[in-house]
Amino acid sequence: MQHPKHHPRFGDRRRLLAGLAGLAGAWAAPTAFAQADRSRVDAQTGRMVLVLLRGACDGLSALVPYADPDYYARRPTIAIPAPDGTAQTALRLDAQFGLHPAMAALLPLWQQGVLAFIPAAGSPDPTRSHFDAQYHFESGIPGRSSGNSGWMNRLAGLSRQEADASLSTVRALAVGEANPAILSGDAAVQRVPRGQAAIRSGALASDRARAAVLDLYAGDDALSRSFRAGAQSRMQTAETLRSAMAAPTNAMATETQAADNGAGPARGLLLDARHLATLMQAEPALRLGFLSAGGWDTHANQGHTRGLLANNLGSLAATLVQLRQDFSRPDDVIIVASEFGRTSAENGTGGTDHGHGNAMWLIGSRVRGGRWHGQWDGLASGNLHEGRDLPVRNDYRAVLAQALRATQGVSASGLDTLFPGFAWDRSLDALFRA
Amino acid sequence: MALSRAPFQPRRRRLLVGLGAAWAGTLLPQAAARASPAPDVLAPDAAAWRALSRVGYGPDTRSAQQVRDLASARDWALQQVDLAYATSQQAPQLPPGLTGFNAPLPSLFEGARREREAIRQSDAEAMAPSRGFLNDLGPRQFNRTMLQQSAAWRLYSASRPDVENPLLARLTEFWFNHLNVFAYKGPVRPFVGHYAVHVARAHALGRFEDLLLASARHPAMLFYLDQFQSVAEGSPGRDGRTRGLNENYARELMELHTLGVGGGYTQDDVRALARILTGWTVSPRDADGFQFLPRRHDSGPKRLLGQDFPRDRLAAGEREGEDAIRLLARHPATARRIAVRLAQYFVADDPSPALVQQLASTFLASQGDLREVMRTLLQSPDFWAPANRLFKTPMDFALSGLIALQDGDGDTAQAPLDRRRMVMTLAFLNDAGQPLHSWQTPDGYRFDAATWMVPEALTRRADFALALARESPEPRFLQTYLSADTRARIAQAPPALRSGLMLASPDFMYK
Repeated sequence: MQHPKHHPRFGDRRRLLAGLAGLAGAWAAPTAFAQADRSRVDAQTGRMVLVLLRGACDGLSALVPYADPDYYARRPTIAIPAPDGTAQTALRLDAQFGLHPAMAALLPLWQQGVLAFIPAAGSPDPTRSHFDAQYHFESGIPGRSSGNSGWMNRLAGLSRQEADASLSTVRALAVGEANPAILSGDAAVQRVPRGQAAIRSGALASDRARAAVLDLYAGDDALSRSFRAGAQSRMQTAETLRSAMAAPTNAMATETQAADNGAGPARGLLLDARHLATLMQAEPALRLGFLSAGGWDTHANQGHTRGLLANNLGSLAATLVQLRQDFSRPDDVIIVASEFGRTSAENGTGGTDHGHGNAMWLIGSRVRGGRWHGQWDGLASGNLHEGRDLPVRNDYRAVLAQALRATQGVSASGLDTLFPGFAWDRSLDALFRA
Repeated sequence: MALSRAPFQPRRRRLLVGLGAAWAGTLLPQAAARASPAPDVLAPDAAAWRALSRVGYGPDTRSAQQVRDLASARDWALQQVDLAYATSQQAPQLPPGLTGFNAPLPSLFEGARREREAIRQSDAEAMAPSRGFLNDLGPRQFNRTMLQQSAAWRLYSASRPDVENPLLARLTEFWFNHLNVFAYKGPVRPFVGHYAVHVARAHALGRFEDLLLASARHPAMLFYLDQFQSVAEGSPGRDGRTRGLNENYARELMELHTLGVGGGYTQDDVRALARILTGWTVSPRDADGFQFLPRRHDSGPKRLLGQDFPRDRLAAGEREGEDAIRLLARHPATARRIAVRLAQYFVADDPSPALVQQLASTFLASQGDLREVMRTLLQSPDFWAPANRLFKTPMDFALSGLIALQDGDGDTAQAPLDRRRMVMTLAFLNDAGQPLHSWQTPDGYRFDAATWMVPEALTRRADFALALARESPEPRFLQTYLSADTRARIAQAPPALRSGLMLASPDFMYK
């Protein structure tokens, strides 16, 4: 990919981003990186993309425990029927689990052995607040509801190389939200808006206007430095995405078609995923990607094989297939998670309320897929959390830790920085191929 | 709480204090880096800017003059409390063509019903999406038209301090956001503007429990958090099945609208409150859009936060829900939560515990009188402290730009709705991550700099400012509020860009 011509005012990207990093550095405590971890990401390690399903996705509809009679007893109207080979039933994965039929596009990944599930994962904190639980997930610190940086930002910080120039390197990219908590913190990160807005450079495309605006932000204060860095990365983002769309061989051309297969709020996710992939392709220093989708809080009329949730799951599956296509180097990994699960039983309005444990999904060539990992005890009353919810059998941090060690080379002390006090879970040691 | 395990992670609090200190001392960010110790009082122009940009969305020539005519900006700010209250007791002034969304609820229900009907009866060919903003597109596009009108009214009222009291517009945003509804959930769309007017605006400076009850009974909220279909366990449903509870509203009512997540309730309380509220649902025919269905109400005994419901036989049924909502509204944890949120919106990203305590005390002592709470806030030294800088949200930024430019258009009272600017503004809010009426979850938008000061997003503000101000005369009255450095740089820019550059300047990013 050719880089766009720089406006002379911008100087080079490295220097500008160094300015941004400097801004971040100014916020940090003096000891900031004194204890920085020795494990680092080198250019050969894989990339990680995390897809966060905000609002608590109903994992028991996505990964269907069809062999469990309690599943059908607890969900008389919304359960996904056991696989019988026809379209409106679960797709058989193994003797216990099936896949929601709207996610048929993922079946090949399971068969190729690159898709795995941890069926009862989640946080040790029992909160049923979306907002607390999301914060716990994003900060990597269950139980603390404010005041922490995001673990992916800390990971980007860990990944810095010791050479001074590396401070300028932006390693993490989010497409979609204005400023997700998972990326807040000291390390410089890039955030690109949802949808078509990412490709527009607007009035700043005019040299004259851009020069005049940047003149107002020539100072050395935090806002000015941030503004200049933003102008640089935005022009580059727009240019990269536009040239990718212009290239006929690029997979971007398929996006409109694929997007039409989906519906509902998760639909825009596919476009964001394409933007993420294009930008990470163009900038090899970007190793960490973050996407999110809402619309999962299905308290009422969630449907079964068709309906609200089915539409969202279909869009998600299409996005994951696309992500797998774009992130298929040996050490790349895609992780899907939600802040908690939903009640094992349907409620009085054809939906599900806030629960506890939920499935986490992993896709990657090193993932030992085509099987599930961790512990699953079924939905009998005695096995449920507070008598109603799927329990958490595998801590989400332990799942992430496995992925980070296997694909990002993060050491034990690095993991402890990301997830202070978490316990390594040996029952997940088979999750990744050596 | 700081993490002992990771001492190199600064606490958010420390980080924000650090930022505050970096910004302190002056309105001018560029000067801030050079300025030594911060003065402890705002200069008169800076105080006027703060009052006009926080109590309202920003100055126009008229309001700038109003402040100048008084002894202090503080006097102007305090005056707005009573003026805003008086305005909130009157119907909003709606320009021609923007009245439909505020029609009585039965006709909004009827419009939505006709749209469903029209869509059912029409063939696919007739379903081609219609274009345009604020065009009446007939019964098939009723919901869309109502939502566009609602958005237009929000922008209109908040950018016309001559038409709508600026503090009332501010608080309409605040309370809508605190009791957020998402336009695209279920059948919410046509009711969003009505909710803004009759819940957020009407009770903006009244008593908090009245605001909360109005929200609880409004179709927008009943639909949004699924309360309209939550009924006693075992109620008859379709196909011989039974229906029952939905916990959604009960949980968010305690977690977000009142007590806060650490407010001391349990999962059992969530269930109890959901049971108390069974039978609260929408009514397409009643003027208030609400009805209580006694046969769908769970009449068994419940225990909420240690209290028995119903209190006695006379207080059974619909009254249980009212009592529960008033109990929650008057709770000390609620007072604290409202105090924190108001202080964050009006004063500082990380408000001082003393201010929060003071606001919470006023809230409790006045039984949730929001005028008293606002007076306490505007009289507090914290509101006027130079160190308490606030960075504009995209909404703040867009509205302040609209206000500044409309002023240049001459006789504002006669100025028609500028559709081009409205469409641009709504598009900007989308791109900036703060789309109007479209925050999906009930927590509402955040207002802090940590959320909105994002490198690429900053440049979109400049982009919007330049586009919005194209061909507009320079809003010269803003000069007073800009730093000498900014003024000098703008004076050297091509004349056609100067209006936009004033709005795109660093000075204009703060409120």
